[in-house]
Amino acid sequence: MRRSALDLAVGVFVLLGILALGWLSVRLGKVDIFGGESYTVTADFPTTAGLKNGSSIEIAGVEIGRVTSIQLANYQARVVMSIRNGVKLTEDSIASIKTRGLIGEKFLQISPGGSERIIKPNGKITEVEPPIDLEELLSKYVFGKV
Amino acid sequence: MIGRHLSRLALARRPALASGVALAGLLILSTAQGGWAATAQEQLKGAIDRVVTTLESPALKGNGKVAERRSAVRKIANEIFDFGEIARRSLGRYWQPLSEAQRSEFVGLFGDLLERSYISKIELYGGEKIIYSGERMDGDLATVSTKIITKNGTEVPVDYRLFRRGENWMVYDVNVEGISLVSNYRTQFNKIIQTSGYNTLVDRMKTKQTEFLEGAAQKKKAQN
Repeated sequence: MRRSALDLAVGVFVLLGILALGWLSVRLGKVDIFGGESYTVTADFPTTAGLKNGSSIEIAGVEIGRVTSIQLANYQARVVMSIRNGVKLTEDSIASIKTRGLIGEKFLQISPGGSERIIKPNGKITEVEPPIDLEELLSKYVFGKV
Repeated sequence: MIGRHLSRLALARRPALASGVALAGLLILSTAQGGWAATAQEQLKGAIDRVVTTLESPALKGNGKVAERRSAVRKIANEIFDFGEIARRSLGRYWQPLSEAQRSEFVGLFGDLLERSYISKIELYGGEKIIYSGERMDGDLATVSTKIITKNGTEVPVDYRLFRRGENWMVYDVNVEGISLVSNYRTQFNKIIQTSGYNTLVDRMKTKQTEFLEGAAQKKKAQN
């Protein structure tokens, strides 16, 4: 009897350990389980250079969603995003891909507009700004072409 | 080859049926193209070509004709650019609470702002080539992609965003090197309104316009 009591204790301890590990991964791994509390919206960009799944979506610097997938659609990059419920995007919102600092990671910034029409779930953000390639821009306007 | 197939279908022996098929074909083709209305790219190109012609026309050349040239360009711009829509989008969420009078005042001030920012640059046009690199349609919205080839060979991508109003396509945003005009002004207007309020923004725009006009009047006096 003592043997099985010990086994049971060890088993419970291991189970607790696994659960604790799981909780830690969710908290630290930024895996959001906002599940049903968000809605999907897409936007087509001519290029997304560096934006990836899980990239943050912000309005006024506050995170309001995540990029869930990036697919090729009609030779453009279709970014599918998950936006928190309660955050309304007007029809003339502009989605821009920006970089943290000058050379940091890419994130998606949304500039809210003033239209009365709101983008519905599974709707599309039509106004987009692709990421700016700073090096290319500098070389174009500082040095010109041969 | 199609003729052979058609005649096999004995259409050749039934002229009424043949012409019926031809007519149906034509009708389908015309509705598929949305009737004979010009596409967004065609309308935009038409307007840009007219501006270029105006700037290159010998009748309007020279410093003495600045006012006429500008008013000719302004007239064409009003036909293809919807300045009211551009102004509304640039103000973003601060447009809603404005009264009708405030809104039309803002559209006027914004038009002045755009004119004094860009008209002098447009007048520097010296025969640069404009290439139309594609048109993308999405219901009532269209994107016309162009490239301006400068004298030293640099390609500047300029994309126009247009919406359809009846038969006409009107520009509501311009992206130069991927940077949206509306987005640029929206960020700046938002900042000023959040820090100092809408009235401060209006006063600032009015002051800038008055200073600009005074500067231009003095220049004209100096030239005469």
